[in-house]
Amino acid sequence: MKIAKRRRPLSRARIIRSSMIYSIAGCFILWILFPIWYTISSSFTQPSKIGIHPTPFWPANPTLDNYRMVLGIPVTDKNCVPGIDIKICQTSPSNVSVNKIVDTMLHSFYVASLVVIITLVISTIAAYSLSRFRFVGSNFFLNFTILSRIVPGLVLVAPIFIFLRVLNLLNTPWALIISYTSFTLPLAIIILKNYFDQISIDLEEAAALDGAGRMQTLKLIIMPVAVPGLIAAGVLVFLESWSEFFFALVLTDSYTVPPLLAGFLGMQTFNWTLLSAATVIAIIPPVLLTMVFQKYIVTALASGTGK
Amino acid sequence: MPAILVLLVLLAIPAILTVFQSLFVVPADGVGIGTFTRVDNYLYIFKNEIFWATCLRSILFAAIFIIGSTVIGLAGALLLNEKFVGRIFLRGLLVLPWACPWLIVGIIWKWFLDGNIGLFNGVLIRLHLISEYKDFLSDPKLALLMTALAATWRQSCLVALLLLAGLQTLPRDIWDAASVDGAGIFQRFRHITLPWLRPALTVVTVLNVIYGLMQFDVIFAMTQGGPGSSTTLLSYLIYRQFFIFTNFGVGSALAVALAIIALIGGLIAVKTLYRKIEV
Repeated sequence: MKIAKRRRPLSRARIIRSSMIYSIAGCFILWILFPIWYTISSSFTQPSKIGIHPTPFWPANPTLDNYRMVLGIPVTDKNCVPGIDIKICQTSPSNVSVNKIVDTMLHSFYVASLVVIITLVISTIAAYSLSRFRFVGSNFFLNFTILSRIVPGLVLVAPIFIFLRVLNLLNTPWALIISYTSFTLPLAIIILKNYFDQISIDLEEAAALDGAGRMQTLKLIIMPVAVPGLIAAGVLVFLESWSEFFFALVLTDSYTVPPLLAGFLGMQTFNWTLLSAATVIAIIPPVLLTMVFQKYIVTALASGTGK
Repeated sequence: MPAILVLLVLLAIPAILTVFQSLFVVPADGVGIGTFTRVDNYLYIFKNEIFWATCLRSILFAAIFIIGSTVIGLAGALLLNEKFVGRIFLRGLLVLPWACPWLIVGIIWKWFLDGNIGLFNGVLIRLHLISEYKDFLSDPKLALLMTALAATWRQSCLVALLLLAGLQTLPRDIWDAASVDGAGIFQRFRHITLPWLRPALTVVTVLNVIYGLMQFDVIFAMTQGGPGSSTTLLSYLIYRQFFIFTNFGVGSALAVALAIIALIGGLIAVKTLYRKIEV
């Protein structure tokens, strides 16, 4: 039947169908790309060219100066006639906060990596025990884990803020690492439990018969199968830590990228072309991560939706 | 289990403390508890018109966000489930908004919609839909819609990815069999695709309810709650009570109210979407 379909000449219905598909696809591409394209094109626009009406789709005389400024590299004005001192023609990024972006990205990496490591260690053990043992309160704990995803950080911020202030941890990376871990743990536990549930108990029992201990079983039997789950959980946790804004805003003084960018928003001296360059730089790591690990992430999230 | 202890300490105790604090007049430094006032903080917010107006605004924002993301996401998933040239490219594109942190979504849209230099205005002018540049975010009537649209932009892509994963497990035979039996495309969609997607739709809707009601980053970046109070959502009100007025008692009461609204919203989503699957 399929062969018959293929040989059929282009019928009217098929033309209508494909033109519908392509027009919807076109709308979708515009919907996704337009806003982000404007940010990218602005980041290559000269600050003096930004006010042109109607706003151009493509930057006239694209330039890398915005990126240079943001990354703290001095910019030379081409139209300037150099006198004795070439430095007259150079606009150095004098604004201290401008070239802070590199340091702040390193902070973000530091926080996110530590959160990933801590979360994966704790959640592997927790998810494994939830998947394998029935213990007093295990059901309560599972429900609690799921529920805690629904009541998010905004509601818990005040007590955490006060805790951290009493412990003198405000404005330190640990303020973020501790609070992020508390939100990423439930997510990682749910994902990993889904993976552990898929691993057959027979295999484990066989290992136990051969004299492997619990930890050994975990290491030799479970881990190899659960690696996709660990990757997915790790990437999602990293993304969450990288993206988190609210806690970083109230618990630290712009320690990570989102509050730094939010700070730029309010600055008169910080124009849109610079901000757009900073924004593009800031989304490169998460975009690369999701592109590379897309398969794992979607599988993990979708398997969660099946239940 | 040490893991359980960690989680209890990090999540349960703050949650209980929030409820606890909502019953007290907490000193401005937040350390220690002040005077026990029973439910005075709640009475204060319930008697306040601003609270109710903000609740309504939050729910309106969430409604636009939920409906928008679900409809656009479902359309995207159905589209990507078909075969066409450029399908892989479009699927790759879906990740782009989703990889953007919420705050950056706000930044991107703030400037995209800007009344002086925004590309959105440029497009509308070229299409002759408007005659001069318009500042969408300083129009109190449009600001809420525009912020919700920005949030929808990111979420619709996640919804599309998740629903697509659900669609791809749909056995092609069922669809083909129905088509042989003479079911039209809309009938097939209604009686096969939608029921099949119901579990995925439930989870997606619960996610949307949470993100919609708790949205803070996008508002912070785009409008800071303005113009006037036209985009002040409950989340923003809580932020102001805590960190600008340092009124921990009232802030906690608001936080508890928001958590309850989110729980009710989530429950409604689960009940309405899940009941039908059993019929």
